[in-house]
Amino acid sequence: MRIVIGQGSCGIAAGAEKVRKALLNTNINKDDISITGCIGMCYLEPIVDIYDGDKLTRLVKVSENDAQAIADYVETGDFSKIESLTVSDEDSEFLTKQTRIALRNCGIINPEKIEEYIGADGYKALKKALSMTPEEVIDVVKTSGIGGRGGAGFPTWFKWNAARQSEGDEKYLICNADEGDPGAFMDRAVIESDPHNLIEGMLIGAYAIGAKHAVVYVRAEYPLAIKRLTNAIEQAKAEGIIGSNIFGSDFSCDFMIKAGAGAFVCGEETALIESLEGHRGMPRLKPPFPAQSGFWRKPSNINNVETFANIAWIINNGGEAFAAMGTEGSKGTKVFAVTGKVKRSGLVEIPMGKTLRDVIFDIGGGMKTDKEFKAVQMGGPSGGCIPASLIDTVIDYKALGATGAIMGSGGMVVMDESTCMVGMAKFFLDFTAKESCGKCIHCRIGTKRMLEMLDRITKGEGKEGDIELLEELCYSIKDGALCGLGQTAPNPVLTTIKYFRDEYEAHIKDNKCPAGECSDLIEYRIVEDKCKGCTLCARNCPVDAITGTVKNPHTINTDKCIKCGKCYSSCKFGAIVKE
Amino acid sequence: MINLTINGKAVQAPEGSTILEAARLADIYIPTLCYDEAVEVYGACGLCVVEAEGIPKLLRSCSAKVSEGMVVNTESERVVQSRKIAMELLMSAHDGDCVAPCQLNCPARTDCQGYVGLIANGEYDAALKLIKNKIPLPASIGRVCPHPCEKACRRQNVEEPINIAQLKAFAADMDLNSDSYVPEVKPATGKKVAVIGGGPAGLTSAYYLAQLGHSVTVYDMMDKMGGMLRYGIPQYRLPKEVLDKEIAIIEKTGVKLVNNVKLGKDFTVESLKADNDAVIVAVGAWKSSSMRTPGEELDGVYGGIDFLRGVIKGNPPEIGERVAVCGGGNTAMDACRTAVRLGAKEVYVVYRRTRNEMPADELEIREAEEEGVTYKFLTNPLSFNGEDGKVKSITLQIMELGEPDASGRRRPVPVEGKTEEIAVDSVILAIGQKLVQDDVKELKLNERGNIEADPDFFTTSIDGVFAIGDATNRGASIAIEAIGEADRCVKAVDAYLNDINVETRVPYISKRDESTIDYSDREKQSRINPKVLDPEVRNKNFDEVSLGFTEDEAKAEANRCLECGCREYYKCKLLKVAQRYDISPDRFKGEMPQKYSHDENAFIERNTSKCILCGLCVRSCREVMDIHAIGLMGRGFKTDVSPAFSLPLDETKCNNCGLCVQLCPTGSLTEKFKLDKQVPLDENYTEEFVEIDGKKSSVLVSRYNGKVLRVIPNDEISRNSKLTRDELFKLVK
Amino acid sequence: MNNKIVDLSLIDGVLDKYASVKGSLITILQQTQDIYGYLPKEAIELISEKTGIATSEIMGVGTFYTQFRFEPVGKYLIMLCQGTACHVNSSELILQTIKDELGIDDGETTEDGLFSLKCVACLGCCSLSPVMMINEDTYGSLTPDKTKKILKELREAAQ
Repeated sequence: MRIVIGQGSCGIAAGAEKVRKALLNTNINKDDISITGCIGMCYLEPIVDIYDGDKLTRLVKVSENDAQAIADYVETGDFSKIESLTVSDEDSEFLTKQTRIALRNCGIINPEKIEEYIGADGYKALKKALSMTPEEVIDVVKTSGIGGRGGAGFPTWFKWNAARQSEGDEKYLICNADEGDPGAFMDRAVIESDPHNLIEGMLIGAYAIGAKHAVVYVRAEYPLAIKRLTNAIEQAKAEGIIGSNIFGSDFSCDFMIKAGAGAFVCGEETALIESLEGHRGMPRLKPPFPAQSGFWRKPSNINNVETFANIAWIINNGGEAFAAMGTEGSKGTKVFAVTGKVKRSGLVEIPMGKTLRDVIFDIGGGMKTDKEFKAVQMGGPSGGCIPASLIDTVIDYKALGATGAIMGSGGMVVMDESTCMVGMAKFFLDFTAKESCGKCIHCRIGTKRMLEMLDRITKGEGKEGDIELLEELCYSIKDGALCGLGQTAPNPVLTTIKYFRDEYEAHIKDNKCPAGECSDLIEYRIVEDKCKGCTLCARNCPVDAITGTVKNPHTINTDKCIKCGKCYSSCKFGAIVKE
Repeated sequence: MINLTINGKAVQAPEGSTILEAARLADIYIPTLCYDEAVEVYGACGLCVVEAEGIPKLLRSCSAKVSEGMVVNTESERVVQSRKIAMELLMSAHDGDCVAPCQLNCPARTDCQGYVGLIANGEYDAALKLIKNKIPLPASIGRVCPHPCEKACRRQNVEEPINIAQLKAFAADMDLNSDSYVPEVKPATGKKVAVIGGGPAGLTSAYYLAQLGHSVTVYDMMDKMGGMLRYGIPQYRLPKEVLDKEIAIIEKTGVKLVNNVKLGKDFTVESLKADNDAVIVAVGAWKSSSMRTPGEELDGVYGGIDFLRGVIKGNPPEIGERVAVCGGGNTAMDACRTAVRLGAKEVYVVYRRTRNEMPADELEIREAEEEGVTYKFLTNPLSFNGEDGKVKSITLQIMELGEPDASGRRRPVPVEGKTEEIAVDSVILAIGQKLVQDDVKELKLNERGNIEADPDFFTTSIDGVFAIGDATNRGASIAIEAIGEADRCVKAVDAYLNDINVETRVPYISKRDESTIDYSDREKQSRINPKVLDPEVRNKNFDEVSLGFTEDEAKAEANRCLECGCREYYKCKLLKVAQRYDISPDRFKGEMPQKYSHDENAFIERNTSKCILCGLCVRSCREVMDIHAIGLMGRGFKTDVSPAFSLPLDETKCNNCGLCVQLCPTGSLTEKFKLDKQVPLDENYTEEFVEIDGKKSSVLVSRYNGKVLRVIPNDEISRNSKLTRDELFKLVK
Repeated sequence: MNNKIVDLSLIDGVLDKYASVKGSLITILQQTQDIYGYLPKEAIELISEKTGIATSEIMGVGTFYTQFRFEPVGKYLIMLCQGTACHVNSSELILQTIKDELGIDDGETTEDGLFSLKCVACLGCCSLSPVMMINEDTYGSLTPDKTKKILKELREAAQ
């Protein structure tokens, strides 16, 4: 039997490495224990897969204390002690309802072993591509209809073709792995779980545009991804897959990893190039576009990780197969990172054309709290909040764009009624204001001023006209900012105003936060009938604002209360209310 | 060549040009703040955006290239809105004062900081010229002005305001006591203007109109010119000899002065209008206001200005030994102090509020007291009581202060049943003055009974007739207010005479938030006041009380100036762009990105709180000079321009080439003047050539009033010469 | 800045490898920081000398990216995720807990030099939100109690 432990960052954070070490300390043959990347069922980590031939037994939420039980099962076949750990049928559906292309090897193969990738038809597509002309490769990509998975969905073939047409011998193919959208982690998962798939996609791209250099720009916060990718590059070099005359062809390509250093704006392609060159990541003026003058002022093509992760599959299966999935304007599949207040959070890859409901309720299982679904935030700080009323929106670039949100890189943060939408807008503006590079006026000062206005509103200091002023500023920033970061920064504000204007008005006119989240606008109170006098809240209060004796109802001194909410979350009887 | 259309105009530009270049070739203005040919395009400011047909996004014209048949609009509504918001945002984060608060609070916008600074540097004639740009009677005004400038002076937050008014009088006296400055007069225009009234308003308008080349005649009903300055201000405050000298200078500009002629008797507005191209009515307010108190008609009850005029004309009314002056303003002070000088034994000032609410100047209140005046605060005349038609006593109602009124001062309310009676020989009512309406019956009056004049253009109900000063709109005010109106009126009249439009919108300027200013690092230095005659000496005669500043005193006092206004005001590109748009940055008021600070070496001063992050300094230091003395630090809102490790400039490789200063579009980087005290001045830059190491090299020379203030390298040779500024100075003639 | 003498020979290897490679500034700074735990002024000056890149440029780059530090950090660098999912799942409470427990604010180090706190952009472990990383280790599904326990364990381990 083979024991495979899911070891993506999530899994490790949940304790997968501890589990692996514990398993290594049992009698199980060490050669039978291996790892895989992210299975995608992050909410069930750590996950241990036991393969008996082709038969898979999946154990979830495993702890190091379960190691012996697993060892016993391996040795004796005693299933009883691990039965409670096996994944439920319901949870299994999380995967079975998906269509995985970009993630096809994730959680299955060992990302640290090139043999396993090759064993899964790896590098077959590269070989095939090298037997075609670059133009033919671009044609297949064109047929597939794939658009950039980083957010905008711009046709990949078009960019490749532009870079191919650009004059010059020296060209660069760059992979944008600076996955900065808070709430999106599919790129990390792909690199950690299937790095060769990325390399293969990039090499095909490099061949198509005529580049001899491939560069991956990975964000610094992803050390495991960098480690596995570095390892994969070494292996590919050793196999002659990276380097000169790849697979005996005329095509040569070197490969380089550059680690970002913490700047969201470097996800913008010209800022990324500046950063690659060792500068401050401040966007350049366009034109010229990178296809004409990019890295070291040479023609450069930049695509996102997930885009490349689809390329090998498209070459192997043909553009038509990919285009057969999805909608008229959006082909193929898309990976979503579903998180927040949803029951089953993790990576979901589905064909375009499904609805938000399919992802959040059918696959994600709906809310994990007892509160109602309120909205889903899509596209991170560049995106917007889509309200519950639009839950049947089809996943398609155009349809999502029509809501005011965007497809984005695929982050879906699910919110219930306890999330304040003004607070949400403020959260994103806080993010963009911090991440603004500071170059252009609209973004540098505009995002800051929006943040200040939103901050005042959440503190009950908003005034009549603030919403209109915010809107005016938003439209101007969209129009005037230099790069995508600034141009899209107003989206979270505009969509929340569009769909939750009443919530803004409640803050401004009535000094009320309907979601009960803005601490300046709420008060905590103990409901006498419900309080059992357990003293837990009083003990948790950091400022001693709660008084009362054992077994008697307690009271909160609102003058002292700093509204930290610790009492609220500690009360086991629901006796504390926010008003 | 590429053919395109910009703002409906057919334009040709070489292939590969940017839209900005094409527009400039065609003389079409597009604002920019981060663009300069010397460095690579950057795209930060976003002000150069334009709209092109068929392209959904706004284009940054500094980088977008022209294409055949392109249709560009550089001033569409969308473009203007984008620029407007950009400027509002930029100014909301630009922590600086364009102009000092003293100047802003002066109704005539006199450049107080400018002349104070010039006095500090001993440049008295330059100071005088600067003053005379706004005030033709500075020696007189310096003596009598209640100086709103000083009320706004920030030095009072350290200890006391600068003695601005006295400094003005000092500079003006210096001028009167030597070869007086007579401004140049433009060639004659052939236009004739009649001014009715020779007070501060009339004289000011005459002075500036004459300089523009118009033929001006001032008609006045009194013996001599000067209006209220002559007939309403006592000799001990403003010696008439000073006024005479200043009026004589006005006459030298070609203004004709005609006295002893009266509107309504010797001429009418219409008759003057018939003979002139324009008429300015500046007749003033010559009737004392009534208190509507019983007994006002009694003998021995005089109007304040009537009383003062009588004294000045040498026929003082009979006032006896006990005099009560009613009122709390400067006219009341003038009246009571004059009464003392006429020999009255008991002089009372009856005022219904307290000393704190008195509108009179604090110095006047104090000096009057020193001279023996008794204040009767919180009293109000109930009646003037007489015998045989002659006033004998006043019954005073005792008052107390209640709730604040609209003016913010606490309202006096009578204390029921409490009165007091004081015996008097005469009463002077100094509670204000009014227009004599009969004089101006040809013109439409407003509900206050004053001439209705347009607040911006000063036009009246008769075409070509303008009205200013005490006779108009809200009525009597202080002299400097009338002077300010006269100055603005001249622009309106000149525009009228030339049949052009004049801009009346008050342009935007940047002001610091007073509440954020920190004075803790300022050393305390007491205000210097000119010496005055002893009270026992002065209360017996009409000699001027103030002895005026000595040169040392004036310099020392002027040196106390905090230099609030920006030195780059006159050439600030940021301000010029900001003023093009109707902006209100207060909408976006919030945190300032940088603390107000400055770093300086011998030549260059940096103030990052004014920085707009156009990057021109950093880029030119890097791209042109390859010196890299400064860089962009941090990111986002708090991005800062600074040398590495926040070192002072002198500890970097900076060679003081001055290129950064030259390119800085605002006052964030300035080159210091060769003056001890730095002053904002409207300098003149000229490119001149000097010889450095045998090579001809270009420098920019800034001159002011004939004096070289700064020399800034202007080409590769001068920038790389490593010459100090002193050495460079010596090369300039 | 601190007064410790910085052994500049430690970055010889980094400089030998990258000083003449165009575009390597960020890599050099990253590796320098790995060695010293921060970017000492002396090291920046040496990097400037060896690469020919002005210190104003290096500092410009160093202060642009959040990864770089110019002061030494504590033995344990707590990087608390500020991502959306963490926000929705009350990461604010965790931040407050850390601040209360350690008495430090974002960007500060405890007096004993044990802990530094830094709020960082999304760590990409959204399903385990709220999340923090301490040095190389990631901790997920945090609650105030769990956070206190982790800090307590680390403090004990250090003693």
